[in-house]
Amino acid sequence: MSAIQEVETVQRALRAMRGQERWLLGLLFTAGWFLLPSMGFAAEGTTAGPTEYRDIPYIGSRNLVWIVAQLHLLLAGFVLGVPIFAWLCEVIAWRGGEKRYDKLAKEFTKLLTSAYATTALFGGILLFLLVAFYPKLMNYLTDVFFPSFLLYCLLFLLETATLYLYWYGWDAMQYGNKKTLHVFLGFLLNFFALFIMIVPNAWATFQSSPVVLSEGTAFERAWAATWNPTWWPINIHRLIANVVLGGYICGAYAGVRYLSVKSTEDREHYDWMGYVGNFIGVFGLLALPFAGYWLMREIYQYNQQMGITLMGGFLSWLFIIQAMLIGVLFLGSNYYFWLGITYRIPGSEAKYRRAMLMMLISLLLCLAVWMTPHSLVASIEEAQKMGGAHHPLLGVLGVMSAKMTVSNLMILITFMSFVMYWRAGKQDTAGWAKLGKAVMGAVLVLASLAVIVLGIWGYFVPAIVRINYFSTSQVAIVGFVILTITPLTALLLKSAKTTTEMVWGSMPPRAGYALVLNAVMVILLMTLMGYARSSSRVHWHVYGVMRDTSPYAYSPALGSASLIMAFCTFFFCILVAFIFWVATMGDKYKAAAGAGKGELPHGIPAMAGGAPEERQ
Amino acid sequence: MSEVAQLQLIALSIVGVGILILLFIKAVFIRVTGFVFIVLGLFSLMSLAVPQLASLPPAEEKIDISSIKTPTDIAAIGQTVFFSKGQCALCHSIGPSESARCPDLKGIGAKLSKDFLYESLTDPQAFVYQDYRHGGVPKEYPATMPAINKDPIGLSKNEILAVIAFLQQMSGEPISVAVSELEIPGKTPSAPVKAAGAASFAMAQVR
Repeated sequence: MSAIQEVETVQRALRAMRGQERWLLGLLFTAGWFLLPSMGFAAEGTTAGPTEYRDIPYIGSRNLVWIVAQLHLLLAGFVLGVPIFAWLCEVIAWRGGEKRYDKLAKEFTKLLTSAYATTALFGGILLFLLVAFYPKLMNYLTDVFFPSFLLYCLLFLLETATLYLYWYGWDAMQYGNKKTLHVFLGFLLNFFALFIMIVPNAWATFQSSPVVLSEGTAFERAWAATWNPTWWPINIHRLIANVVLGGYICGAYAGVRYLSVKSTEDREHYDWMGYVGNFIGVFGLLALPFAGYWLMREIYQYNQQMGITLMGGFLSWLFIIQAMLIGVLFLGSNYYFWLGITYRIPGSEAKYRRAMLMMLISLLLCLAVWMTPHSLVASIEEAQKMGGAHHPLLGVLGVMSAKMTVSNLMILITFMSFVMYWRAGKQDTAGWAKLGKAVMGAVLVLASLAVIVLGIWGYFVPAIVRINYFSTSQVAIVGFVILTITPLTALLLKSAKTTTEMVWGSMPPRAGYALVLNAVMVILLMTLMGYARSSSRVHWHVYGVMRDTSPYAYSPALGSASLIMAFCTFFFCILVAFIFWVATMGDKYKAAAGAGKGELPHGIPAMAGGAPEERQ
Repeated sequence: MSEVAQLQLIALSIVGVGILILLFIKAVFIRVTGFVFIVLGLFSLMSLAVPQLASLPPAEEKIDISSIKTPTDIAAIGQTVFFSKGQCALCHSIGPSESARCPDLKGIGAKLSKDFLYESLTDPQAFVYQDYRHGGVPKEYPATMPAINKDPIGLSKNEILAVIAFLQQMSGEPISVAVSELEIPGKTPSAPVKAAGAASFAMAQVR
C-alpha cells in the first residue's frame, strides 16, 4: 500500500466516523490512560545495550518493589514464626498432657497452609518485579548464587511436603508413637523453615557485606558469598524476631477475638490464648536486643562507614524512633502482665500495686534516656547557648553507654514483671523459701547495680573497651539473672500453695487493645529496620561492588518512608486478618450448623486451610 | 505547603479517621482498625517530627584541570571532595568534636608528608596492622580506614591529591601539591606517588 493510499484509507475511516467524535475521543482517552504505564516501562528499554532498569509510572519501580518485598518478608516472618510457636505448644501438650495447648497449636497450624500460599504468592510477585525492574542486578546475583537457587527450590519442596503431612496428619497422628512422629514432623517443618530463611538471607546480606571471589567454581563462589560477615547475625536476629512476631500476632488475634466473643467459654479461651501469645513474644523480646547489638557490631567491624551511616549518619534519627517503638512494646507487654495480675488473680493488685508503679516509673525513665538523641534539634541561638548541638546535661544521656544500660534495665524489669505474675496468687511452703527469696532479691539488686556501674564507667574508657568488655558484661549479667531466678522461682513454686485461682476471661477490653498494640509495634519495627538495613547500602545495589545508577539511587527521608512503612504494616495486618478469617470460616459454619451438619461428605478433600475433623 | 507539611496533614488525617471510628462505630473489627490507624498515624507524625535527612548519591563532579591555576584552587576542590564524595567528614573532624569517631585531622597536613598522606589514604594497612597494646603476641588489628581509591568511595588520583592539598591548607602549611601533578584526562597517567622515606616515621607513630 502506497503512502497516498494509506492517507485515503485514513480519510475514509474518519468520514465514516463523523458524528461519533465524542465516542471516539472517549475511546482514545481510555486507551491512552491504559497505555501510560507501558510508555513508562519502555523508557529504559529504548536505549542502546542491555536494559539495566525498567520503571513504572506514578508509584515508581523502587516503591513497588519496596512494598512487595516488605510484605513478603513480613508474611515470611509470620509463616516461619507460627510453626515455632505451634510446635512449642504441641511439645508442651505432648510432654505435659495439657490438651488445650495441643488445640492452640492446631488452631495456629491451620493458618499455615493459607498463609504459606500467600507468602509464596508475594515471593513470586517480588521475583517477577525484580527480574522486570532490575534485570542487570538480578543477572549478577543469579551468577553469584546460582547453586543456592537450586537448593532453595529443593527446600521449598521439602517444606511443602512436611507442612501438608504435619497439618493433614494432625488428627490421624494424635496418640502413641504416631504422636511422637507428628512432633518429629513439626521439628522437621521448623528445620526446613530455618534453612528456607537463611538461604535468602545470604542473598540480602551479600548486598550489604559482599564477599566476591573472582575465581573458583560456581559452588565456591556461592559459598564465599553466602558466608559473608553479616549473614549469621541476621540469621539469628531474624529467627528470634520471627518467634516474637508469631507470639505477638497470636496475642493480637486472641485480643481481637476476646473483644468480640460473647460466651464465657470463648472469653476464657481467648484470654488464655492472649496470655500465651504475649508470653512467647516477651520471651523472644528479651533476647532480641542482644542479637541486634551483635548485628550492629558485625556491621561496624565489616565497614566502619556503614556503621556510622546507620548510627551516626543520616539514619541516626531512625534509632530514636526505634527506641520509641521498642519502648512502647516493652510498656505494652508489661502493662498486659500487670493487667493480668490485677484482673485474673483477684486480691493480688493490692500486694503488687506499689511494685507495678515503681516498674512503670523506671520503664518510663529508661525509655526517656533511650530516646535522648545524641545531638539535639536546635536553633542557632539555642545551639550557641548550649555551646554546640549537644545539650550540657541531656547530651550525656544520648550516647551508647547510657542506651545500653537502660535497655538492659528494661529487660530486667520486664523479666521481673513476668516473675511477679508467675508468683501472684501463690504462697510459698518450702522451708528454704525465705532464703531463696533473699538470694533472688540480692541477685536482682546486685545485677542492676552492676549494670548501672558498668554503664557509668563506660564513659571513662575507650569505646573499644566499652564495646568489647563492658557492654558484653552487661548482657552476661542480665542473662545470669534470668538463668538464676527462673529455675529458683520454678523450684519455689513447685511446692507453693495456690491461694487464688486464676480467673480467665475477666480481663478488661483494654487488654485486647494492648495485645493489638504490641503486634503493631513489632510489625512497625520490622518495617523500620528493613528500611534501615536497605538504606545503609546508600547508593549501592551491592555495597562497593555494583552501584545503583537508577533514578532511585537515593534513600528517602524518614518522614516520607514512614508512610510507606505504615502502609505496609496496615496492609500486612489486613492480610493476616483475612488469613485468620478464611481459616476459621469452616469452624464458624460448623458451630452454627451443629456437629455433623457442616462437615464435608466423606471422601471429599478439604480445601487448603480448611479444618480437618476434630476428634478431641 | 512544604512536602513535610503535606505528609503531616496525611498522617493527622489518618489519626483523625481512627478517632472518628472509635467514637462512632460499634463493630469490634472496625474499632480495632481505627485503633491501628491512630497508632500508625502517630508513628508517621513522630517520624516527620525528627530532622528529615535523605541520602543522595554523590554527584559526579569532574575536575576541570584547565580552571586550576594555583595550589589554592586544588585545595578548594579538596574541600568539596572532603565533605561530599570522599565522605571523610563522616568519621573525621577538623578540630575537636564529640561526634568524630576517628582521628582529628586538624594539623595533620603539618605532621605528615604528602607522600605518607597519599599512602595512608590508598593503603591504610601499610603500617598499622597489628595490635601491640595488650602485650604478648600482637593481635591482628586492621585499621578501620578504607582504601579511599577503591569502591565504595573510589576517589581518583586527582581527587586524593586535592584532599591532601586541603588538609595542608587547613594546617597552615604551604600546599605541596603542584598543578603539574594532576592527571589530565586522556593522557597517560604519571607515576603514582611514592611513600618513600615515610616508613621510619610511620613505625614511630605506631609504637
